[in-house]
Parts: sequence; C-alpha cells; structure tokens
Amino acid sequence: MPASSDHRSVGNPLHRLDAWDKVTGVTLFLPDQPQPGAWLGAAVRSPLPHAHLISISKTATFPAEAVLLTAPDLPCANLVAMVREDLPLLATDEIRFATQPVALVAAPDRDTLKAALAAVIVELEELPAVLGIEASLRGEGPVWGADNVVAEYRVDRGDPDAAFATAATVVEGTYYTGYQEHMYLEPHGIVATPRPDGGIEILGSLQCPYYIHNAMKRALGLDGDRVVVRQSPTGGAFGGKEDYPSILALQAAVLALRCGHPVSMIYERREDVACTTKRHPSRTRYRSAFDRDGKLLAVDVDLVLDAGAYTTLSPVVLSRGVLHVAGPYRIPHARIRGRTVATHTPPNGAFRGFGVPQAAFACERQMDRAARRLGLDPAELRRRNLLRDGDTFVFGQTLRPGMAAADLVLERVLERSGYEQRKREAHAFNADNNRGGGGPLRRGVGVTLTMHGGGFTGDGEDRIKGKAAVRLDPDGIVTLLVSSVEMGQGAATVLPQIAAEALGVPIERIRFHQPDTSEVPDSGPTVASRTTMVVGRILVAACRQLVDKARAFAGDKSADPLLDAGHAGLTATAVYEPDPDIEWDQATLHGDAYQGWSWAAAVAEVEVDTDTMEVRPVKLTHVVEIGRAVNPVLCVGQVEGGALQGLAWGHLEEMKLKDGRYWNDRMSTYIIPTSLDAPDFDVELVELPSPRGPFGAKGLGELPMNAGAPALAAAIEDALGMEVFEAPVTPEILLARRREVRR
Amino acid sequence: MKMSMWVNGVNRTLDVQPLKRLLDVLREDLGLVGAKEGCGEGECGACAVILDGRLVNSCLLPAYRAHGRVVRTIEGLGTQENPDPVQAAFVAEGAVQCGYCIPGLVMASRALLDEEAVPSRPRIREALAGNLCRCTGYERVVRAVERAAQTPGRVCGTEPVANPASDLEASPGDEVFVHMPGSLRTACAELAEGGVTVVGGATDLGVLLHEEVVTPKVVLDLSRVAELHGVRREQGALVIGAATSYADLLRDPDVARDLSCLHAAVRTVGAPAIQSLGTLGGNLVNGSPGADAVPPLLALGARIRLVSNAGVREVAAEAFFTGYRATVRRADELVAAVVVPVPVAGTRQSFRKAGTRRAQAIAKVNLAACARVEDGALRGVRLAAGSVGPTVVLLREAMAILEGGLVADLERLAQAAAAAARDEVSPIDDVRSTEEYRREVTGNLVARFVVLLSNYI
Repeated sequence: MPASSDHRSVGNPLHRLDAWDKVTGVTLFLPDQPQPGAWLGAAVRSPLPHAHLISISKTATFPAEAVLLTAPDLPCANLVAMVREDLPLLATDEIRFATQPVALVAAPDRDTLKAALAAVIVELEELPAVLGIEASLRGEGPVWGADNVVAEYRVDRGDPDAAFATAATVVEGTYYTGYQEHMYLEPHGIVATPRPDGGIEILGSLQCPYYIHNAMKRALGLDGDRVVVRQSPTGGAFGGKEDYPSILALQAAVLALRCGHPVSMIYERREDVACTTKRHPSRTRYRSAFDRDGKLLAVDVDLVLDAGAYTTLSPVVLSRGVLHVAGPYRIPHARIRGRTVATHTPPNGAFRGFGVPQAAFACERQMDRAARRLGLDPAELRRRNLLRDGDTFVFGQTLRPGMAAADLVLERVLERSGYEQRKREAHAFNADNNRGGGGPLRRGVGVTLTMHGGGFTGDGEDRIKGKAAVRLDPDGIVTLLVSSVEMGQGAATVLPQIAAEALGVPIERIRFHQPDTSEVPDSGPTVASRTTMVVGRILVAACRQLVDKARAFAGDKSADPLLDAGHAGLTATAVYEPDPDIEWDQATLHGDAYQGWSWAAAVAEVEVDTDTMEVRPVKLTHVVEIGRAVNPVLCVGQVEGGALQGLAWGHLEEMKLKDGRYWNDRMSTYIIPTSLDAPDFDVELVELPSPRGPFGAKGLGELPMNAGAPALAAAIEDALGMEVFEAPVTPEILLARRREVRR
Repeated sequence: MKMSMWVNGVNRTLDVQPLKRLLDVLREDLGLVGAKEGCGEGECGACAVILDGRLVNSCLLPAYRAHGRVVRTIEGLGTQENPDPVQAAFVAEGAVQCGYCIPGLVMASRALLDEEAVPSRPRIREALAGNLCRCTGYERVVRAVERAAQTPGRVCGTEPVANPASDLEASPGDEVFVHMPGSLRTACAELAEGGVTVVGGATDLGVLLHEEVVTPKVVLDLSRVAELHGVRREQGALVIGAATSYADLLRDPDVARDLSCLHAAVRTVGAPAIQSLGTLGGNLVNGSPGADAVPPLLALGARIRLVSNAGVREVAAEAFFTGYRATVRRADELVAAVVVPVPVAGTRQSFRKAGTRRAQAIAKVNLAACARVEDGALRGVRLAAGSVGPTVVLLREAMAILEGGLVADLERLAQAAAAAARDEVSPIDDVRSTEEYRREVTGNLVARFVVLLSNYI
C-alpha cells in the first residue's frame, strides 16, 4: 500500500519496529532479565471465599531469614488506590474472596520461600458466601454496602412507558455472559527495588505506569520523585494488566522495603489465573418496542455486572456498558438501568471492551430475537434502525456530519461476505442434511453491528489531561516520551508513525522510549482504545511545538531544522486540549459520551456438528470503520486477534466457579482457541477520517472484541433454529436446549 | 549429571540435575532465554524447541533426555541480518504482536517446513495447534508460514549428527539416578529391583514434576530400549513398540493404511510437540479414561504384551484396565508392545473425538469403531469409548445389538445401539463436561457410525 502524497508515514503498512527483536528471540521480557540479588515474594491467600480471619501465625520451621508481613506489620496504609479506596492490600478481619491475600512472604531463594509459605498457619472461620448475580441482587450478605450495589447508573430518554403502551410489537429477552480470562501468554510479573532514599523502583509487565505510581504514592506516602515505575516488554495484557499490577507492585514494594532487597514476584500460570481479574459476568434484561414498520420506539434495559468483592474498576466498566447497551440504533424513548453488584469472588476488572462486549451481546441478541418476531431479516431490521449522521444516541449525543458509519460498515460487510447468498447456501445445505440419511453438520450465517467509543467517557480525557513530550537528541533523532506502553497492540510503531508524520521526517528518525515514570510524563493509562486517538493527538501537538522551536533555533534557511538543532537540547511537552464543543454531564451520563465512535459489522459463518454440538467458526468477515488507519497491517491484526477473543468467549471460554474459586485455573482447563479453532478472517478497513484524532485516526483496540460473540450466536441460531441467549454457548448447553425443544 | 548436547550447532557440556527441565537448562545454564514459560505443563508451546528434528515442549522434557541430542532454539535460527525465511515472513506478514509466543511459533513453523516444504493451509493450522497465541487470531501467522514456504531452506543449515546412545554420567550431587537401558532384558532386570519410576515419553512426568506431586529417586527411562521402538508386521498383526512416539506412529504407512482409526486418534493427541514425545505405551500405562489412542486398540481387538523377568504374557486391551488409572500390569512388568491384528478386508474403521477444542484437548467423549458388512449383515462390530467411565470401555451391549444385524434395518439398529450405549456407559460431571452430555454424545456417535455404514454396502 503506497503512502499518499501528503502523508509519509501515516497510512503506511510499515513493519513493526519491535518485530525483528521478537522473531529472533532478542526481546527480554521480565522473566528473561537477570535480577541480581533479588529475593522472591509471594502472597499467603485465603482458600475460602468468605471467612473471619482469626489468626495468622508461623511455625518453628519458618526460616529465620525469611520475612512475613501481615496487615498490622504493613509500613503503609492498607489500601490499593483505585476508583474507591475499599480494597485492602491485605485482609484484616473479613475475607471476602478466595485467594484474597492475608500475608506476604519474601525469601532469598525458591526453596526458602516454599519452606516459609508452608510454615504460615492461617486460621479462618468459614462464613456463607454470596455467589452469582442473582444471590447478590437479592441482597444476600450483604457483601458490599447495604445492598451489594457497588454502583448504579441510569439513562432516561423521552417517555418509554407511553411508547411501550402504543407499540405494535414488544420483544423481551434476558441474556447472560460469563467470565473471561485474559490468558495473555506472559503471566503477571513485578520486581520492586528499594532505593537508598527510601523510595522504590518498580519494573514490570504492565499497562499503566502512572496507575502504579499513584497507588505507591497513596499507600506508601512517598512523594512522586521517590517512586519510579518502568515497564518491561509486556507479553500481552488485554486489560488484565491495567489494575492488577498496582496490587502486585504494592505487595512487592512493601516486601522490598521490609527486607531491603529487590523482590521479584513473577506468577506461574496457575496463580495468575486463580487470582487475577476477569471480564465481569453479566445479566441483561431487555425489552424493545417496535412500530409496524419494525422501527424501534423504545427500549427498557436492566444491565447487571458481577463486580466481585470490591469496587476496583467496576463502576467505570458499568458506565461504558450502559452507554453502549442500546447499540448503534436510533431510539426515541429509553429507560436504561445499570448496576454492578458485589459477590464473594475475586474483583473483576478491565478486559478489552470494558463492559461493551456484554452490552453488545445483549443488544444484538435482542435485535435478532426481534427480527424473528417481526419476520424481518436481521440485516434489514438493523438497516431500518441504525444511527445516521444527525441522529441522537439515547444519552443525548448527536452524531455530527461524518461521525456515523453504521450503515457503511453494515452494507460493506453484507456485500463482502456475500451474506444473502451464503445464507441461502447454508439453508440449502441444511435442508439436504435434514432429509433421511443426511450428515450431522448444519451451517449458519449471522450478522452483527456494533460500535465502540474511543477514549475515556465524556470529559474523562479533560479530567486526566494527558501529557506527551518529545525530545530532540544530538543525533537529530526525536525521542517520544509518553506513558503509553507497547503490549503487543503496536503503540511503539503507531505512535512513531504519527510523530514522523507530524515532524515531516522518516520513521527512522523517531525513537520510542520504553515507559519510565522518571523520564516520561503522564499520558494517561494504556487503555480505552485511547492511545492512537488521544495520546497520538497530544503527541502531534508536542511535535509541532518541537518543529517550531527547531526552526527558531536553526533559522529559516535550514533544510533540516531537526538535524541542525540536534545539539540544542530542545524538548516540547503538550497537554490534552479538550474540544470546545463537547458537552457532558457525568452525574446523569448525558451528552457527548465519546469524541470518536468506531463502527464494526461482522458476518460469521459456522458449522455445527449436531452429533456433538461442537461449533466451528468457519469464516468471519469483519468490516470496521476506524477513521484513518495509521498502520493498516497492524489494524487488521488487531481486528483478527480481537475478533477471535470474541468468538472464543462466545463458545469455548467458560470459567467455572467451584466453592467460590475458579475451577479451571490452568491452561489445560481454561480453553482458549488454537490455530485449528480459528476461522479464516477477511477484514476490511473503512476510513472516515475524524477531526478528533491525529491525521483522522480513531480508536480501534477494543472494537473487534464486540462483534465476535453475538455474530457467532446468531450464526449458531441460524444453523440450528434454536435460540442462544448466552455467551459462552457450550456444546453442553446446546445439547440440553435441543432436548428441551424436542420436548 | 554430566550431559552434553548440541545446541544451535555448538556442543555444550553441562553438569545439571537430571530432572531439571530442558527449558530451565536453556534459560538458566546456557542463557538462552528465547524459549519462554507460558504454562509449565506442555499446553501453550511458548517453550517449544526443535530436538533431533522434531518440535518438543522444553518445559516437559527432563534434561537427561537431551543428552547426546541436537537442540535448535530461536537464538540459533537466524538474525535480522541473516534471517530464517520463517522469521522474515513473520515480520513481513505482521504475524507478531506481543511476541511472547513467537519463539515457539517460529520453531513450530520451522519444524513443519523442514518436513513438508509446501504445506496446505489445514496442515499449517494442524502443525501450529500446540502453540497458543492470544493476540493475532492466527490469520497472519498462517499467512506467514505460507509465505515462508515460498523460500526453501533454513539459514542455519543442517544439524550435527546426534549421538543418542552416549552414556549418562552421574554426578555426586544428583538428586535422582537415571537408568536408560538399551535392552529390554536390562530394563526388566532393573524394574525387578523395585523403587523405580518408569518413564516413557516423559510428557506425564513433566506435568507431575511441575505440580510437585511426584519426587522420583530412581528413573528407569525406556526411550533407548531398542526392542520397544517401531512397528513390525507379525502374522497378520502390526506389533507396535510401546516406546514408539506418536510422531513415529503417525508417519508409519502401515498404521495409516491398516489401522486408520488408530492413525486418526493419534492425530488428535495433544499437538505436534506432544506427539514428538508421547508414546503409545505411556498412554496405556497412565490408565487415563480419556486416553485418545486407547479406544482404537480396544476396537481393533489389540493385545497388550507385557514383559518381565518371569516371561511374556499378552492381555486383551479391554482386559488391561481394572479401574480408574489402574491396570493389570504388575510392578515388575513393562508394557513392551501392542499387538494389533490387521482388520479383515472391508472393515470400516472410525475414530471420533469430542474434545474441549479442536487440538491440544482432552476428550469429553471419544469413540473408536470397527465393523464390516457381509452378506447384508453387520459383522465384527467393535465399539470402544473413552471419557465415559473410569476406564476406556467396550460398548458390549451396543455391539451385541449390532452384530449380525441386517443392513436393511440399519436406521433402527443405529438407534437401538445408541440407546444401549447411553445406558451402558457411566460418565461423570467434571471440569470439562457433564454426565448428561457424555452419555448422549456416546449414543450419537455410535448411531452416526452405524448409519454411515450404509455408504459401504
């Protein structure tokens, strides 16, 4: 793909700048880096989901050189600062989830650590555990507050009761989604090193250096200069390394401060799966009112997320879910209620999509159910209701000219996939097999339409005011100083492409600085599909300042001011500048929720073996509108990878609870797809450049997570003629449902 | 233990604990940190390296098994300046994201292309199925392998010649003693002395060591016992040495032709890196009811040949298992071979597995089936199912219904046999599936096998 005339870097499918180090095994992840003198740390955890902590003691075999820290020994406030400060670093009186840490241990080597862990005796008195959304909604416990409701949001528009009363058709459904484990290939890891000045340095596999920086400052009472957080090359994260590293880093830090040595805490897989965050399970009750033409009049939605035992990020996940649950549709009247409720399970957290996959699953399943009731093809029902420029979301955001692309992606995906023909062929295939002597396979085709708001919700970007800096080095190379991390998504290639574009230099003259809080300003966390769109935009402003400074230094006659000013020690820092025309009320979730909406439509083709109800996704055609694609190959890779996570969440990935613990806490029992489980992908990027992002770019990372599960469910439904209300829909569920249907 | 091995073309001599994982030897003793640990139980393939030309999970392989052998790791494949075609293709196709799985995926791709220069897309997907990637969705990875296949050869050239028979030398600090006898007689003698942990492919050992549920003191490793390797033809039967790896079995043309249900089953065991190490004998002795290679042995009427100092005996495969992970093997006996009669001409064989996914999966239910049609009736019906009870079982009730049944009555027979099969199995609910699912699917697979016989009338 050639670069266009006015863009040298943006739009180019350049090879990733880190690709060669990764394919030759040169990249050193945290476990690959020597940590001389480091002790090993570990947590002592509760085996029970709910209990009184009676006592913690050590036996005589506890090694003399090892360190044991319980809550009273902590040299700091017993909290991990997140949205609220309700999560203790170590449990004190009450255990609220299985695997909750009650003590920390450090030792100079693995054998001593094992001996120390074996010599810690935790006495617990078991209490009844509240597990599952239904029990929590009944107010059992309570686990949290007076009624288990950790957060609640409402969106109201118009007069939904009147609309339902006059509707030609009312459709009701309840939809469920399960846990999802990130299963990044590199487990969590942090090394904390005490500094001579009483401060601490953190090195780890993480997404948000300044979240950890903040959590350290809050808990340890250190000023910012005495906390340094550095990111090691990170082997996947998907949201799983957004909030949890703050917990792990604090554990390692207090141990390091106590024992006076660096402390390394690198999880093995089983501990990682057993203890760290998951996608929130959800239950959504959905009512929709349609007129005679199949146009939506109103929705009444009740979305509930299982928060786990503490607040962590759940309110933020919930608000995003609430804002996406009505989908990309024009709806004059709405009543949307969202709650996140507490249970005695490990806190659930950020996972690619952040509440939207749950919301999109419910919304899209409801649309398919409505299509059947209305006798319309699912694509046609969507066509009649999708939002276009000038339409207003239920929460009051009006799409300005050029912002809406739902119709574009839908029509493109229908054409590209040959939707109607593939569907006809599938039905003919099934009809053949339904005759006597036919085979067990059934085929189906499903379509789905979703969107994702890039960047923080509402005025979130204005509140955090991300910064980005650039530094002109003596060799004429410009170093990018941002806290956005490379975790596989391509930030260390895409941000340099944006900077090269802004500076008018080839990419070889850009260096991406590994995030390090002593060197880079706080650009905000690497989350929310905000890096390219928001941090990229701040970076462009910083680059333009730098160019001006270099010109001023090198003089108008300089042909290469950045080279000629290389020795001048120039830097430039820019801060996020809000657009003046954004209106947002956080209290009522009303107004311009997102500055850049990205749009996606997908067509899934599946084959189901009716002997075993095994589902095989055969092909996924995915059309996304993401504004300008800074690096088209990386964009396609994001779409394919995210879509497979969505598909697998839709039928393979089932995290089961047993006695309040994750039952399948191993890679051999929590099933992620292999190369044989992945379909062929066909991806098309549609580009409507957005004025909000750098060179027209919008957010992408999370968008492809949204369509996979509902598209798959629709295709399964099409293949089998049975309804699917849940993700994952396992062969066991499908088999049981067929038996019910036959009765 | 003093050991030596060729690593990336260089002979390395080391003194390590015999059961130290090859992964840790590479990373800690040789500073080769390209191979990663993602799971520690042979599931993810991030630790995959090439051992004597075959992909293996280095997290499962004890160091002593690499003694005298030839290892190639990502560090020895190519460089940015002089890349292997696989590496260049991964870069060019955008097949890399976080990079943690990439050394394993690159080695798996290299191992495939070393064996098959221009593999099809399904072959590529099968060859990479033991290397989990969470970022890419595999599409770009598959395309990279297709691209690499257009550039023949590997830049690191041919490997040195292994010396697989060289003796192990124990060190004073060894926590475990390893015996690797070269003959069955010696192996039996050492087994008779007692107190040994017998190791075949070492894939179970690796997992058990990782979970710290075993602490062997003396290991009796069968991988060098010549008589236990290979497939021989003996009076109308194929005799498969117990230490024959799945990888060797898969490549045996006689097995593929004559024992097609066994061939199909072996293809579904784990993924290539597991197949390189795992053995048929290990699958039997482990006694797991979910063992994929075992139902075909029951369906084919195989006999298990047990050898000890006291002599040789053979047991019918269906009589080998006495309970959950329990067999008739005495402590002084080794499974030496599996004797599989070549089915009568015209016998239709089938293997079907419903697993937790399409590769690297433990069966929820599996079924091996054999039957033929003679003079309008079903003959030689043998059905064996796994993961539906404490052991792999013959479905005797269903077999009795089918044997001699008329093909004119195939539909009714199929339903009757399915119902009988559902009644005679005794599955449970567990982390992978439900009792109800297993029972119903067993019947469905039986019915499907029977109905499909109509194609062979």
